[in-house]
Parts: sequence; structure tokens; C-alpha cells
Amino acid sequence: MSDPLSHAGRHLLDRRHFLKLGGTGLGGVALTSLLSRDRLLASTHQAPLRPLIDAAHPYAPRPSHYLPKAKQVLVIFCSGAVSHLDTFDYKPELVKRHDTPMPGSSGLITFQGENGNLVKPLWEFKPRGQSGKMISEMLPNLAELADDLCFIHSMTAKSNTHGPAENQMSTGFTLDGFPSMGAWVSYALGSESADLPSFVAIPDPRGVPQTGPNHWNSAFLPAAFQGTAFNSDRPIPNLQRPSTLSQNTDRATRDFLATLNDQHLSRHTGDSDLAARIASYELAARMQLRAAEVADFKHETVATLEQYGANDANKTKAGFGRNCLLARRLLERGVRFVQLFNGSYAMGEGVGNWDGHKSLQQQYSIHAPILDQPCAALIRDLKQRGMLEDTLVAWVTEFGRMPTFQKGASGRDHNPKGFTVWLTGAGVKRGFSYGATDEFGYRAVQNETSIYDLHATILHLLGLDHERLSFYHNGVERRLTDVHGEVIRDILT
Amino acid sequence: MKIYFLIAILPLTWLSAEEHWSLRAPVKSPVPALAENPIDAFVQDKLAKETLAPSPLADRLTLVRRVFLDVIGLPPSPEEAAAFLNDPAPDAFEHLVDRLLASPRFGERWARNWLDVVRFAETHGFEMNQERPNAWPYRDYVIQAFNSDLPYDRFVLEQLAGDVLGSDAATGFIVGGSMDQVTSPDPVLTANQRADELHDMVSTTGTAFLGLSVGCARCHDHKFDPISQTEYFALRAAFEGVRHGERPLQGALVVSPQQETAALRRQIADTWRKLDADAPLATTELRPSVNSQRNVERIAPVKAKWVRFVIAATTQAEPCLDELEIYATDSAENIAPQGRLTASGTYAGSPKHTLAHLTDGLHGNDFSWISDTPGKGWVTVELPEVREINGIVWGRDLRREFADRLAVQYQIEIATEPDAWRIVASSGNRQAFAPDAVTTVPKEIVSLEARLKSMESPPLIYGGTFQDVPPPTMRLNRGDPMQPRELVNAAGIAAVPVAFTENDSVLLPSIGKICGQEISRPPTENQRRRLALAQWIASPANPLTARVIANRLWQQHFGEGLVSTPSDFGHNGSRPSHPELLDWLACELMEHGWSLKHLHRLILTSHTFQQASEARPEAMIKDAGDQWLWRFRPRRLDAEVLHDTILSVSGQLDLRMGGPGFSGFEPNTNYVRVYNAKLTFSGDDFRRMIYMTKVRMQPEGTFGAFDCPDAGQVAPKRNRSTTPLQALNLLNSPFMLQQATALAERVQQEAPGGQVERAFMLCFGRSPTSTEASQALVLVTEHGLPALARALLNANEFVTLP
Repeated sequence: MSDPLSHAGRHLLDRRHFLKLGGTGLGGVALTSLLSRDRLLASTHQAPLRPLIDAAHPYAPRPSHYLPKAKQVLVIFCSGAVSHLDTFDYKPELVKRHDTPMPGSSGLITFQGENGNLVKPLWEFKPRGQSGKMISEMLPNLAELADDLCFIHSMTAKSNTHGPAENQMSTGFTLDGFPSMGAWVSYALGSESADLPSFVAIPDPRGVPQTGPNHWNSAFLPAAFQGTAFNSDRPIPNLQRPSTLSQNTDRATRDFLATLNDQHLSRHTGDSDLAARIASYELAARMQLRAAEVADFKHETVATLEQYGANDANKTKAGFGRNCLLARRLLERGVRFVQLFNGSYAMGEGVGNWDGHKSLQQQYSIHAPILDQPCAALIRDLKQRGMLEDTLVAWVTEFGRMPTFQKGASGRDHNPKGFTVWLTGAGVKRGFSYGATDEFGYRAVQNETSIYDLHATILHLLGLDHERLSFYHNGVERRLTDVHGEVIRDILT
Repeated sequence: MKIYFLIAILPLTWLSAEEHWSLRAPVKSPVPALAENPIDAFVQDKLAKETLAPSPLADRLTLVRRVFLDVIGLPPSPEEAAAFLNDPAPDAFEHLVDRLLASPRFGERWARNWLDVVRFAETHGFEMNQERPNAWPYRDYVIQAFNSDLPYDRFVLEQLAGDVLGSDAATGFIVGGSMDQVTSPDPVLTANQRADELHDMVSTTGTAFLGLSVGCARCHDHKFDPISQTEYFALRAAFEGVRHGERPLQGALVVSPQQETAALRRQIADTWRKLDADAPLATTELRPSVNSQRNVERIAPVKAKWVRFVIAATTQAEPCLDELEIYATDSAENIAPQGRLTASGTYAGSPKHTLAHLTDGLHGNDFSWISDTPGKGWVTVELPEVREINGIVWGRDLRREFADRLAVQYQIEIATEPDAWRIVASSGNRQAFAPDAVTTVPKEIVSLEARLKSMESPPLIYGGTFQDVPPPTMRLNRGDPMQPRELVNAAGIAAVPVAFTENDSVLLPSIGKICGQEISRPPTENQRRRLALAQWIASPANPLTARVIANRLWQQHFGEGLVSTPSDFGHNGSRPSHPELLDWLACELMEHGWSLKHLHRLILTSHTFQQASEARPEAMIKDAGDQWLWRFRPRRLDAEVLHDTILSVSGQLDLRMGGPGFSGFEPNTNYVRVYNAKLTFSGDDFRRMIYMTKVRMQPEGTFGAFDCPDAGQVAPKRNRSTTPLQALNLLNSPFMLQQATALAERVQQEAPGGQVERAFMLCFGRSPTSTEASQALVLVTEHGLPALARALLNANEFVTLP
């Protein structure tokens, strides 16, 4: 571990803030040291914890606040809002009352306007595994994993439009410009991998999700904690030596650059920023090798590729399958936070993502097979390799959909009042369901849960106190969970 | 439970105006007698107390690079550097500072800092994130404001109320933030979107000008500063009538010369007159119905001095006439404008519908006359002399947009002696009014009109649209638009000791001067509120405004402000490291007419700015962060300066100023805008980065990784981080490879016999050491000149402000 009191570390800290704290009687630096080593100040409930960053090694692993259950996180984000009613949230009442008005819904205006009658799930539900969890036929492979999953059926979102809602799921805020969960985690904990970024986002083969880079934005956190976005088809931009340059020329150029920088540093000793920059070129060189290696599947078995659907005739499914495989390989190599996207920006309503407004059955018949097999293969593979012991997986979407069809359409409108997300892996119960929506699946009524709670729980499993992990920006000690969030204790092992 | 806990304990920490430093008026303390420049005196006073010594003056090469990169964001050319190095004058540096501050490049560099502070971008953000093609005039406004040293108080006024003060583009400030383009019939969503837009305006105004986190009081009273939730909504009231959107730029110079538009109008009129010759005589038995667009009354030639148009009935309400044209046998021109107008009465209080508009030659509803009596009215044109006339043309709206208020029963009378009226045409022999009657407009005229319209349209600006009377502002319980509470009037924050008044000169409905500006019409309620807010902020009695901007300038020169939380001067922000100096600068600014260049000059000519940057070990032990300013702390160039510097040394930089920007991304027509970074570059791409269309949330492909703010939230202070992706971008991006090649070509051309020497001079402003020279020569010999260029552009020395 890097010395918490290195010059570089201190440079990155807000020195005047320490002075202010220093006024309490402890020297600023001494206080920081205390904060970082143990939690002597734990009794001062709100005292912010800002990790010490060594500028030369921004991805160096950093200690958590307390013993973590999970070391790594995989978020699988289905963009466009997956209907909970047609997948994981079984509502027999909808079958009974199919094609009748939803009680109390007269005059209800949702995102696209008026609603028609209640509509039963468009895929049949069946009991699954030991737990007998009811899951629909839409995602048959994922359904088989029921005993491994921990469902939260009472999730709620603050916005019923994609942009702000996707922002909230990934950054905690509906507005643009806040750091994503992955950036926070990477800021707090660095990476377990010496040669790869601590936070990788894997966009869908069809394109980036609806709020694009907001999902992996570092916003006001240092740029080192920005998610690096690439997938199996589109490598990290500018990663490789341009084809017009020979390897020899590239190496000679960089060797010359290194000596130039060394000589410059010898004339400017003591400036840690210069040393950090030299280190960043060394890390870049290692990353070039390592990132190429991670995206190269030549040592994967045919059986593995087959399981992930990586060579499926459906090109989008094959692409997503390869992305799933890439996710596993990144986690294996110690990347702290991997965000895997299924669904892209809108190219027409419900085209490219899960936004099934007009003809849900038809659209989901396209999207479901792309997600199902590869995603299930990924979870199975992680489990089989023992990686779920210290990897937390969260499957999320920005909100749910209405139990009714939209007036004059065969699809469901947006519904942030109650929807489903699920977790699996380190620290969470398996084959467990938490919270519930009402009899129609319209509104969370039991153990209503917020995205803040989900974020608080994820941070908690990583050994981070969501109320104390903070970064000062523009007048506010900012947190992923703003001023909200309760860890969902009931789902923890 | 937690919330109650906070509310219970935190108000105790509120600081009243008397207690909190930033809410007390700044005072000019006596300058310690330690140095000639007061800045140095204050700094050295502190250094002495900390037992630290200032550093000696930096060497002249460092100085010239530092001042160029800092002030104009471009490196000195080897020739510019040499001119300074060889200038024996004792005030050579002062002269250089003056020259750089006067350079148009200065505004381009410093505008970037301000645009960060106010989260300006040229796309909407959120899901669709489409471009705002007319947002750039605000960027140009800021550049011009800094270049012309617009007094800062005026700069504040204009950004909040430029539409009143003759600086229309300045209000781009108000709507510079994100706006969700997705619309919905869901009233809750719509209300929340609107609340977010207004919140962005309020909170940006609070942080940018006042350094107060006003936005924290949206849902509840501010937990640390004396800002109540009601006061948040009082500030919001000033923006309640502002909406995102474009509006025509007022007072914009019409791009085309007047004679061109006049010629077009003439051509249109002539074409009509030829057609009018075929119109039926007014005495014909049955003529077509009147229409709202254009009616021709062809009469047998008759002498007239007076022409009267008498209306007896309309389709509804008071009659409206856009234009009344009179044609004489001896002229091709409409002679009505030569006459004197009288009328039965004119609709009161509307500048769009005055009598003068009847014969002004300008078409459309905005230039028409309306009678003051429902269904009735008359107008008379008294010609300067008796003329033989043969035609009258009139219409409700010659632009063919408005069709109401049409005269359907009328008669036209002439006289050569007072009151000896004689009817020459009337509705009596027209067919019964047909509501769908129109004038057939020949294609030739349609196309001439379109050309005229495009020439006359003022350019649009993304500066917001304004409702004259804003809707009421209610305090929203917990910030929830679905829980409106009591009405709140526009006001300031009580803890800031300045009276907030919609002052008398503003309230007076007469035409006069506001803030020294001649205005042509009384300000609307919307404008009055924003003016009042602007005056409250820009008042010399406001203790925050001058301090906040003085601190921003300091931060941008030294990398760190005297207050290290530049947009938070509240309780949670940090205390100034040099309170007397900050106050002195704030007072100095106000005493010198709010001239920012005056402060820049003071700072730049101080020893503190010019001192060496070496990290002296004994001082590093005491103050590694350079809080006490014992050295000039070097730092990595900002993304934009780096971009421009690369283009400058490669010889590719295009210095054209202003106007629409260029994009760093490929064009895309999907309704959710997809941003794919450009991979090939030419032409406009080599302009300064300030002219690159600023895309919200999407970092530019090569330089975005260098801590470019995303403009999602305000960025009063950039991070300065170091990442491997920065290294990869500078090493391998197509942009950089192209520039390395261009630099190699330039060097080859300028110094075929001394390539290494020239390349070092261009990139570092110095000759290579003998070691560097020999190593570089090996590289060039074995791998070519572009390899050397690529290495130099990646060097620490190149990317550092020394």
C-alpha cells in the first residue's frame, strides 16, 4: 500500500480544508492519518472519509472502511426499463383481471399519457428451483438460476423518464453531472489489478445506453476514476500503437520520451505531479498489453464460448455474449467495478432497448434472447469459478412498466413506483425475495426501497459507509447517496 | 429521523452576517511595508509569519512561457520569446503583460474559465442531448466582455438582464445548463422538469456570482448558511418567467445592407402592380369577397388630396389594417407614406398597432393599425398635394398570417376639398364575405418574399424566452412541485446586507435610462425582477460579489484560490488563506471601476507570480502545498491550452475568432444524438478549442480525458489528475499523430539543417542540452522526424505551465 502521507497524496487533498479541521486542535495531517488508519472518529457520525490518493498510483488498492463482504462489483444494466410484470414479478391478479380497468386508475396520466385496461403477463410464469420462485418463460435460462438470486421487488425511482432515471440508477442523482457508482467505488478502493483501470463500462453491441457516458462519468471526481468504456467489438480508443508506426519506432520514441522526462524531473525534483505523469506512461504501456490480453478469447474453450452464445447466429446476441465473457475476464483480473450494458440508446421506440411502449411482446421477443443465455452463462460461470464468493452482482434497470397497456397500444408505459432488481454473489441471500408491489404490480407496498438504499447496500458490502464516503464539490460534501439511503439489512447474509 | 436530527442541531451553526467573514464588507487593511506591489507585501507578511522565504525571480525563459500560457493560453513562438529575453528595458515584463492583456487571445483563454463556472454547454444534456446550434453567441459575448474589459458589475447585470441592457446574447448565461428535451403529458414529470430547470438557474446564479450554495435550500432551509427555503424561492421568482429556448437577437445588425432589402421590396411591389392592372374595376358589378391578405381597389383615374377608409363592420372585434397603399397615375410607387394620417381612434397601449404602422411599408401584424372601437373605425391619408390616383390596396395582414379583425363592410372615399367626400369603392359590390377567401400569390412573389424574410430575420440566440408576466412562485414543500405552499415574491437573501428593490427608475413606466442604458420601452415584470436581482448582486455594497471574482482570478493564475472553495464562501467553504489580501483585491477591483484587467495586471506584475517554481526542500517540508505562496507552483496545462498549444507549435492553429463552432464529433441524425469522436481533422478543426462545440456529458476524444468539465454541474475548480488514458490519447490518437507529422514538416521546412534545435525551440522555447541533442539525433536518424515530434508533444516539459 502506498504511504498515506506521501507528498503526492497530500497534494491531491484539499489542504485548506485540513486547516479548518486543524482548528479543532489536531494537526490537519495527523487528523487525516487517523481518519485513514482506523475510525477513531467513528463516533462523530458524519465526519467525511476521503480516501488518500497517490497521484502516481491512482489505481493502487485502498483500504475499505470496515471488513468487506465483496471485493468487486458487476452491475448488469438493462437500458430502456424492463417490464417487471412480464419477467420476475408474478401477479396472478393480473391474469384474473385481464382486460379490466385498474381500480383507482381513472384519469391516470403516465409518461406517454392515458392507459387502457390491465394486461396479464405476456409470458407464462412457472415455479423455479427449490425455492419455487415464479419467473416467466421470457428468460428461461435466467429463470433456472432462481435459487441463486436475491430479488428486490419493491424498488422505486424518482423519475419516469429515461434520462434522469438512468442517471439516478448509475449516479444517485437524476440530474446530469454526478459521479457514477463505479467512479465512487474506484475512488474509494482503487483496483485489485495493477495494470487495468479500476472501473470498466461495457456498452451493448448496439450502442451506448440512453444517457451514454453519464453511467461511467467521474463528473467532479478526478478523471482517473472515470469508467473506461470498451467492449469486445470496440477496444479502448487509442489503446494500441497506430498501425502506421512500427513497433521499433514506437518503442524508440517512448524510450526517448522517458529519458527526456527523467532529465526534466532531475531538474525539477520534488514535483510529484511530474513523477505521476511518468508513472502514467508506464501504466499505459502495461495496460496496452493487459487490455489486449483481456479481450483476447483464444484461450477460452469452445464449450465456454458456446455457453455464452459468443458465436451465435444472432449477431447482437453473440456480441452481448462476448461482452459477458469480457466482463468475467475483467473481474478475474481484479478490475474493481464492471458495468455491463444490455440495450442501447433509442433508435426508435423500443428499438435497441427495453422501452416496450407500443408492441411489447414483439419487441421483447427480440431483446430477451439477446440477454438471457449470455447473462445466465455469465452468472453460472462466475459461480462455478468461485468468483461469486467475493463478487457482488446487481441486475438493474431504470424503472418498471405499467400493469396496463397504453391506450390504443400493445405495450406498457413507464412506471417508477414499483419494479424489480436482483442481486447475487458476495454477501447477499440466495433464493430470496424482498419487498413487494401491490396486487397489480403497480406500486411498491411492502418494504418500499429506493435507489439510494440499493447504492448504500452495495457500498456497505464493499466495506464502505455510504454516509461518510464523500468528496467536496462546490459547497457540498457530496455522497453517492446524497442525504438518503439505508442499507437493506434484510437481504444480507 | 436523521433529518429531524440535523434540523435540530444544525441551525445552531448558522452564522449571522455579523459573524461570518464573507458577509462583512471587505475592508482595505494597511499594506505591510514589505514590498512595492501590495500583493507581494501581503504575501510576504504571511510568509514571514510562517518562517518561509519567497523564491527568487524565475528565469526569463520560464517567465515568458508562464505568462503566455497563463494569460493567452498559447506558448510564445521562439521569436516572441527571444524578443522578451533580449529586451533590456527594466519594465520589459510589464510591457509584455500589457501586450498580452490587450491580445484578443486573452478573452479566448479566460472565457473558458468563466464558462466552466457557469456550466455552459452547447447541447441539451440528458437522454437526447441534441445540439443548441445558436448557443455560441453567449460564448462570443464572454470572450468580448473579457477582451474589452467590460466592468465586472456590468458583466453581472448583462448576464441576468442583457435583454434590457442592449446586450442580448448575455442571457445565454441563464439557460446555459441542461434541459431534458423529452416531453410528456404527465403533469408530475413536466412539473419536475420545470423545477429542475429553474433550480439550475437559481443555483448557478448563487454559486457563480455570490459563491453561495443557494441550491442547498431547495428542499429545506440551508443547513449551514443563512439561506431559508423561502429565500431560495424568492430568487427563483426572478427566473420564473424564463424558459429554455431561442429568441431573435435584438438590436442585431441586419446582416444584409439596407439597399438590398429595399430593392427586394421594390421588386415585390412592382410585380404586384403589374398584376393589379388586371384587377376588376371597383365599379364592376360583382367583385370577389374581401380577404385578410390583400385587396385591390382599381378605380378610374380621379383627383384626390384626401383618401379615407371607413369601416362599418368586421369579422370580430376592432378592425385591423396592416397597410393602406395609394397609387397615382404618374408614379409606380405607393404614395401613401408621403401623406399625413388621422384616424377615428387607435387601440391604446400597444406598440405593435399604432397609426404610423398603417403606411410604414412594413408588413405583418406587428406593424399594423387597430381602431379603438369594436367593428368600426376610419383612417384618412392627407396627401401633400392633389394627385391623380387610380388604385388603393389594403389588407389585414400582408404577410398572410393573421386573419381576424377583418373589415368586411367598408367604403373608400376621396376628396379634393375638406369634407367633400366621394365614394370610389366599397364592399357593396363584393361577394358576401367568404372566410376562406385568399389572394393568389404568384410563385415569383413567394420566392422574393422568402428571400426578403431570410435577409430581415435577426439571428437567433439560445438565450431563453421571456414571459412578460411570470407565473406565480410558490414555496414548494420539500422542494416537491406537487406540494405548493405560500406565494413568494422576488427578493434577495436577507443575510446579504444589500437592499433588494425593484428600484424606482426601473419601475417608472416611462422611457429613459436603466443602468445607464437608453431603453425604448418600459421593462416587463419579468425584466424588472431580473434587473433587481442583478442590481442586488452587482451592488458595491454586496460583500460577496467582488471577493468571489477576485478569488476566481487568483485561482486561475496560481492554480489555487485564496479561498480554496471558489464557489462556496459560506460556512462549509474554507476560510481565506490571506484574508487581508483578498479584501484588498476586492476593494481595489471596485475602486478601479470593476476592471478585471486591472487586477490581472496587479497579479501578473507581482513578484509572487514571477517567482521561481523550484520545490525548495526546506520549504516543501513546511508547506508542500504552497499554501503560503513561497513559490509559483507548476501545473499541468488545462485541456484547452494543451490542444491549442499543440496546434500552435505544429503551425496548424487557425486563429479565426467567433461565430458558430466546430464539432469534435461525427455528424449524426438520430433523435437521441449519438456522439462518435471524429477521427480525421481538417479546416475548422484547427481553431482554438474554445470554438469547439461544447457537448454536455460527452468528453472530446483526445483532450476530454484531461479533466475537461462535463458541464452537467458547475465546475468552479477543475481537477488536475493524471491517468494512463491521457497518455494513450496523447501518444496514439489520430489527432496527435497528424499534429506530430505537421510539426515535423514545419521543422523540416523552417530548419532543414537544424531540425532538432528548431523542434526543441518550438516546443520548449529552448535549445536541447547536448545529451538531449545527441539522443534526439539518433531518434531522428533511425525513426524520422515525426518520431521526435511525437515524443516532444508528450513531454512533461511541454504539458507543464512552468
